[in-house]
Amino acid sequence: MIIDRNNLPEDIRNLPESSFEIVGTEDIRDEAFRTEPVGFFKDAVSRLTKNKLSVISFWIIMLIIASSIIVPNCTGYTYSEQNVAFKNLPPKVPGLEKLGILDGTRVMTNRRKDSLNDPTQFPPGSVIEIVKEYSHSGVEMVDVKVDFYRMVGVPEGRYHWMGTDYLGRDLCTRLFLGARISLIIAFFSVVTNICIGIIYGACSGYYGGRVDMMLTHFAEILDGLPYIVVTILFMLLLGSGMVSIVLALTVTGWIGTSRLVRAQFYRFKGREYVLAARTLGVKDRALIFRHILPNAIGPIITRAMISIPGAIFSESFLAYIGLGIKPPNPSIGILLSDGQKVLLQYPYQTVFPAVLISLLMVSFNLFANGLRDALDPTQRGEV
Amino acid sequence: MDNPTYLLEVKNLCRYFTSGRGKKKLTVKAVDDVSFGVKPAETFGLVGESGCGKTTLGRTVIRLYDPTSGQVIFNGREISGKMTNDLRRYLTENIAMIFQDPIESLNPRMTVEEIIGEGLKVRGVKDKDEIRRRVVEMLEKVGLNEEHATRYPHEFSGGQRQRIGIARALIVQPKMIIADEPVSALDVSIQAQVINLLNDLKSEFGLTILFIAHNLSVVKYFSDRIGVMYYGRLVEVARGDDLYAKPLHPYTRALLSAIPEPNPLVAKAKRRVDYDPERDHDYTHEKPEMVEVEPDHFVYCSPSEFARYREICKRVGKVGA
Amino acid sequence: MAEDRNKNEVILQVKDLRISFRAYGGLVKAVRGVSFDLKRGETVAIVGESGSGKSVSIKAIMGILPGNAIIEGGEILYGGMDLTKLTEEEFHKIRGKRIGLIFQDPLSSLNPIMKVGAQIMEALILSQKMDKKAARIRALELMEAVGIPDVERRFHQYPFQFSGGMRQRIVIAIALAGDPEILICDEPTTALDVTVQARILELINKIKEDRHLSVIFITHDLGVVAQMADRVNVMYAGKIVETGTTEEIFFSPVHPYTWALLSSMPDLETKERLLSIPGAPPNMIAPPPGDAFSVRNRYAMKIDFEKEPPLFKITDTHYAATWLLHPKAPPVQMPEALRARIERMRRAVANG
Repeated sequence: MIIDRNNLPEDIRNLPESSFEIVGTEDIRDEAFRTEPVGFFKDAVSRLTKNKLSVISFWIIMLIIASSIIVPNCTGYTYSEQNVAFKNLPPKVPGLEKLGILDGTRVMTNRRKDSLNDPTQFPPGSVIEIVKEYSHSGVEMVDVKVDFYRMVGVPEGRYHWMGTDYLGRDLCTRLFLGARISLIIAFFSVVTNICIGIIYGACSGYYGGRVDMMLTHFAEILDGLPYIVVTILFMLLLGSGMVSIVLALTVTGWIGTSRLVRAQFYRFKGREYVLAARTLGVKDRALIFRHILPNAIGPIITRAMISIPGAIFSESFLAYIGLGIKPPNPSIGILLSDGQKVLLQYPYQTVFPAVLISLLMVSFNLFANGLRDALDPTQRGEV
Repeated sequence: MDNPTYLLEVKNLCRYFTSGRGKKKLTVKAVDDVSFGVKPAETFGLVGESGCGKTTLGRTVIRLYDPTSGQVIFNGREISGKMTNDLRRYLTENIAMIFQDPIESLNPRMTVEEIIGEGLKVRGVKDKDEIRRRVVEMLEKVGLNEEHATRYPHEFSGGQRQRIGIARALIVQPKMIIADEPVSALDVSIQAQVINLLNDLKSEFGLTILFIAHNLSVVKYFSDRIGVMYYGRLVEVARGDDLYAKPLHPYTRALLSAIPEPNPLVAKAKRRVDYDPERDHDYTHEKPEMVEVEPDHFVYCSPSEFARYREICKRVGKVGA
Repeated sequence: MAEDRNKNEVILQVKDLRISFRAYGGLVKAVRGVSFDLKRGETVAIVGESGSGKSVSIKAIMGILPGNAIIEGGEILYGGMDLTKLTEEEFHKIRGKRIGLIFQDPLSSLNPIMKVGAQIMEALILSQKMDKKAARIRALELMEAVGIPDVERRFHQYPFQFSGGMRQRIVIAIALAGDPEILICDEPTTALDVTVQARILELINKIKEDRHLSVIFITHDLGVVAQMADRVNVMYAGKIVETGTTEEIFFSPVHPYTWALLSSMPDLETKERLLSIPGAPPNMIAPPPGDAFSVRNRYAMKIDFEKEPPLFKITDTHYAATWLLHPKAPPVQMPEALRARIERMRRAVANG
């Protein structure tokens, strides 16, 4: 709107005289804040909770952890209780069985039709339906769907939610106990990795120069060692078990973290606020722990989160190739390795641990991603 | 330049950065044989273009970098020697620094109170109420208030953050401040706020300031004496008026002629001079050194240039008075 | 005569442009009704602090607004088209060909892993449909035209081998590759040293003369404005608060923000206390009612807090949006320090 001062429109010409009183002053102060002060972690949490995917992941992780604590004590079985008579039972869940899923049935193929009448093979009531009838070399054959629990004589009211393995052990108990052991191994190895990594990386990055060079070279040499060999050495030395697995995962596992921390320290130690603190006479230790580390912690936490599924996977991998913890202790890896041997006959023995480990890894990764965004200082205040 | 009246005296200071080793070794002479002195309660401006070593010089004086050679003397005590706890304490008690970037220079994880109070804590002040009281007092000096103490840096505007940086430097009551480009990262409308504040505090505390900047108008406005740096060397030191009225070193002349003049009728007709060390100096026979051409006016020049500069000074005469 | 008419021809017209950004806290009203025009062969400067909306306006002209921007209204008329309504494909015909752009940071506007010669050639091949041979010859010419020495050798170098000033010259060469008629410079010298800045400004003025370009020049440095611009638009909080010829803005400013801007930076003669602008720029999610500058304005009147001032006409070229120009407003003089400075500037002109 352009207005000629010699030809003012009515409404502007008639503005009251009093409106043109000068009210501005020389002394104009900064605006007061209208909001509450927000600390860094409060800010991060509020941003994390805005990210739906990571909230869901968080609750899945919590659910799995809670299950791994509670479930093994509630199934009524122990992880090592064997009953060869009840081996390879299919899953049977109370409630669901009425819907026709996970009802403890199994289709048995290539049976002689006349054997159906043999009560030692098929006790009365165990045959549910005949799926397919055919003859092979003149012999009448059938594929038959049976109530497997009744067939092998499992007492009524006994359920194995995820079935049993080749020794008749309850898979559900073993799976969640295995998850517990895997999580413990992952947690301890990650915590040690992060601690060593932070200290090592911090020294390397903060002091720089010759110290950095020596530390970096040492880490490189260590990193060059084949890690399977190191693991086998540990197994020989300490016997298989949780401790040696944690150690095996730690030997080279911290190197990645230390590189990250070193890079972070290189990035932050030249920041003006670190220089400012130095000119104020702040000591090295306070500089590292008060000024640099808190600002570098975001990527470190994120890395820790991401490396948990990595550690679980490594543990499973070791178990899978037979370097895992001592039987009969379960771990997800051992279950997978056992299940894989009978994958075609009893796929559920692989499916359940596979689903659990996938769920864990995906959730941890998604949660870590959300955490990374929440801890990113460049996104501060953007809620 | 041996003058007992100087509070800070820099003598033949060098700071080299090296990279690589053996044949690939590369030396950058960021600060090369620089000498000057800053008198008590004086503001000494240091101008130059990026990469000329002015920031390195400031950081070497306050010992963020160790000098390669040369001496820095503060109040009669050498502060360029081996770093001891005692020297560290002496330095932090006497010299503080204000940084350029209002975002970068405050720790985002600390509250304003923690940031400003840190200097006191380092000095062994343990009483929380005492720290709080002095922080608030300082906040009010820089135009902020008590309510701001519990806030985090990201909640403040650029100008406010820079004022927090100033409060942090001043709370330890230093004799001298090194201000490294304190306004160049700020918006035009905010720069004046900070410059005025620095000016007020300067007279209130009787501060001696080493003011490092690339904006010549700001340096001229703010400083008593000015040193011009070019590629690690100080080429001319003079009082502000003298420097602008009779720039002697060709680089100073080039620099002055390049300032954009905020006067449209003059700016468009302005003639710029270029500086080319190869063309402007002939140092094949004579070695240049820092000499005093007239009282308080030093130029890095050879004897023949010196004679010529003397002529110019005589012709222009005294300015300012 | 013909040339005279040409000179007054408006080639780009921005009308009541409104742009907002979707952000976490709500809509950021970055540009709130900006109108200006660009005549053939002139340089128009847009001055303002960061966040005043000056960069956003020209990004709209170039069609390079970020994804969260919404053009809420207004039009940008150029060559019979409304640029706010163009599709991305249609913009390709204009951007880099009829309108060239120079950014603040030369390093980030060059591809670091491509030789500079190849980058200029690419621009030529894309915009002029030249073949490689012709493009190479033209690229070398352009490099020479923007003052790069030793072009044959420089042609095969990478951006990191160039200094800041030289890089900006390359960016200018690329902008010129399409033989544009409008050159938009977004703070082209802010990242550069004064001596380099002076050279780049001279270069832009020279190529403007040589090629009869029209230039939109964005900056916050009034010294640069004085050297470059024919006309000046002063922006604050998404609006143009004062517009006029460079002389009018520098010698007879009327808006308190322009006063503050002019007197907040010292020049070489300044001795007195600087006039600072208190406070900080407003939050553009909820801009204050009335005049956005009122809260920081020591001459604010009651009405400034209630009603937005219209653009009052002062001369045919000089307009300002402040209620101080209303006949009923009390006579307010510009600050003493600024008057003294303008007086000094007039004397400097008189003394040649």
